[in-house]
Amino acid sequence: MSAATDHSAPQIQPYRTGLRPEILGLIIFLVSEAALFGAFFMYYANLRVLNGVVWPGEFDIPAEATSINTLILVLSSFTCEFALLSLYKRKNGAVFAWLLATFILGAIFLGLQVEEYMVVGFTPQDDATGAIFFTLTGLHGVHVFIGLVLLLLGMIRALAGRWTPERHSGLLAISIYWHFVDIVWVLLFTVVYCLPSS
Amino acid sequence: MTAVLKPTLARCLWVAPAFAALAILITVAARSIFGMTPVLQESTLLTVAYIAGGIGFIVGIGGFDYWFTWMRGGELDPNDHSQHGAHSWGDYFKFNTDHKVIGIQYIVFTFIMFLVGGMFAEVFRSELATPGQQVLTDQQYSGLISQHGVIMIFVFMVPVFAGIGNYVIPLMIGAADMAFPRLNAVSFWLLPVAAFTLLSSFMFGSFDGGWTGYPTLSEQSGYGMTLYQLGVQLAGASSIATAVNFLVTIIAMRAPGMTLFRMPLLVWANLATSALVVAATPFIAGAQFMAMFDREMGTHFFTIAGGGDTLVYQHIFWFYSHPAVYIMILPGFGIISEVIATHARKPVFGYRAVAFSSAGIAILGFAVWAHHMFASGMEPWLRVPIMLSTLLIAIPTGIKIFSWLGTMWGGVLRMTTANLFAIGFIFTFVIGGLSGVMLAVVPFDVSITNSYFIVAHFHYVLFGGSIMTIYAGFYHWFPKVTGRMYNEVVGRWHFWITFVAMNITFFPMHYQGLVGMPRRVADYAPEFAWSNMVISLAAFVLGASTLIFVYNMIHSARHGKKAGANPWGGLTLEWLLSSPPPIFNFPATPRVIGGPYRYGEEGAKHAIVPEVEPATVETTV
Repeated sequence: MSAATDHSAPQIQPYRTGLRPEILGLIIFLVSEAALFGAFFMYYANLRVLNGVVWPGEFDIPAEATSINTLILVLSSFTCEFALLSLYKRKNGAVFAWLLATFILGAIFLGLQVEEYMVVGFTPQDDATGAIFFTLTGLHGVHVFIGLVLLLLGMIRALAGRWTPERHSGLLAISIYWHFVDIVWVLLFTVVYCLPSS
Repeated sequence: MTAVLKPTLARCLWVAPAFAALAILITVAARSIFGMTPVLQESTLLTVAYIAGGIGFIVGIGGFDYWFTWMRGGELDPNDHSQHGAHSWGDYFKFNTDHKVIGIQYIVFTFIMFLVGGMFAEVFRSELATPGQQVLTDQQYSGLISQHGVIMIFVFMVPVFAGIGNYVIPLMIGAADMAFPRLNAVSFWLLPVAAFTLLSSFMFGSFDGGWTGYPTLSEQSGYGMTLYQLGVQLAGASSIATAVNFLVTIIAMRAPGMTLFRMPLLVWANLATSALVVAATPFIAGAQFMAMFDREMGTHFFTIAGGGDTLVYQHIFWFYSHPAVYIMILPGFGIISEVIATHARKPVFGYRAVAFSSAGIAILGFAVWAHHMFASGMEPWLRVPIMLSTLLIAIPTGIKIFSWLGTMWGGVLRMTTANLFAIGFIFTFVIGGLSGVMLAVVPFDVSITNSYFIVAHFHYVLFGGSIMTIYAGFYHWFPKVTGRMYNEVVGRWHFWITFVAMNITFFPMHYQGLVGMPRRVADYAPEFAWSNMVISLAAFVLGASTLIFVYNMIHSARHGKKAGANPWGGLTLEWLLSSPPPIFNFPATPRVIGGPYRYGEEGAKHAIVPEVEPATVETTV
């Protein structure tokens, strides 16, 4: 591809804000992501609060096993943050190692979730309870998967030595996204797993 | 040969089908491995083919070329402007990162969709001209009214404001471009994919649930309904991406001195609209996901038999779609403030009140969704609070109306076509607003629900409201975009024919609804014959008047007289540039020194653009 590089573009100084545009954009995007989860939580709340559906019905949602999984995901948020801290100390090898640790923890989480799908004993097609359980956890699973892909790309760029303390918006964005996925999970785990109908 | 490898439409022609074919292969393989029967489930394969084909189109047009480099860990050049700006007409058919080019792409594409959606209306108006059924079957009629609504809302009304905003907002705030130019281009190119998905549903008998696609009807419809659900998702993704872009651009890219209360009101309106889009659009995505899972995966979100709840679809749907009404009108309010202030040569009356009323409408817009559901059998206790919040929304809207009247008051009005449309808009929008207040009242709404009164109301606010503001904006910024003046005489003919025909088309529908003519039915009782004939004839005139506009735009863009930089004597930043603006907008960072509407002050200036020689062009090929 013949990239014609044109330096005639005048340098327009933007208005001063504390945030870099790409990080601001990511945060706004995450607001809309939260709203997407909100739509499914709205359905879930309607089902349980207004319709009085017994949760989880005759199914058994493995809250204890999943609490370990929750710990794994929370731990991965810390390892992700350590990657950024290592970058600020210019330890490029440690950046890669912490990203790898985060990736492995995320992959374990996703694997255990898939395993839970296989043993849980009901399917999305059974009834509305099954449908919203699988959709909420599945939507979150898709986000974890996207996060894993992003972590992989972060590792590739770390190996190529592209992250510097001066230029690392991409890595910062990946970590913010990963924290968001983590926070959504903690909320989801609390509401869906830990609040059975009494 | 190289044309099919470079990021062009030619590359889309093989990348999109290749992605679709790959997705079908993977699905067939997965289905046979997991033992699902039948392996060749037609609707599943079509759905994955559409999704993958849409992604393939964006890849083909070049939406991800830059990011692929990033993903490989390659070095990126932030000064790479190779895809910026149009040097020939062919560049308008390419992935382009210039906000001005994207704005024109948006406007032209969405306007073509407006003509398509309008043609659907003309077809079913010819069916409705006389009682009985002559032209269309029930199925075709339902398909056409649904397509008319969906095309008009999702690929015309919402994105056309994104198009106008794309062109004007970065100029108005003194920026070189939008914050994320490539994301901007991707969000435009998602629209043809969405339009293709929606329109290709005609191959499967269209979809017949109206533009709302309520279950349980949507669960029983043909395959076209799945394409509706996909198309709405794609258009929604496009508008979320644009909204993120607008928000970051407006928050972070303003020129020095452009404080919040020195922003032109169109910028304020876009800020409020974008916030609405970001927070509300995911809800329609959620609703469509669930409805699609019900159809394509056999879940039971909305089927009573499976323990689901049909009504909750309407709650989630309207939690987006009522704010969507404001998404379709708030930028129009902004346009009207610009047009009236410029052509009345007066400062906007109550600038801060108008700015805050945009924010007020955006916030209140989330608290009124259930007024679409008064007759749906929802929780009765929700009715009165929603009625009150709906009535409250008349207050910020009224603030805007009085601001426009106050701005015009005592001014020397220049009756250009743009201003005519702005004044005509106030007239028709007030009618639509008043019928809206009537509909907010529960007993009235319950008695005329699902009648032509509703059709009259929302066409008065969408045609009499949004489309009038869109025309006002088109005429107002036409000299800036093309560098030439439109033909004022032809423009006035366009305004008067549109205005009169629009009122004759939609006003009798109030009467029809009050005496009980139901909407969305292809046939009607003989006593409505006379009024329907009048409406249909006026609708044909209305359709024809659009052609006058198209002629005026195309002819004037080529042969109109030169406009100069500032034909209207506007003070906002876009008028300080040549027409059309230079490729990177401002030669140097502009400085904003005062409010945007200081008309009538001697020598008043909103901003100063320093005169700087552009740096020498270095081109490496």
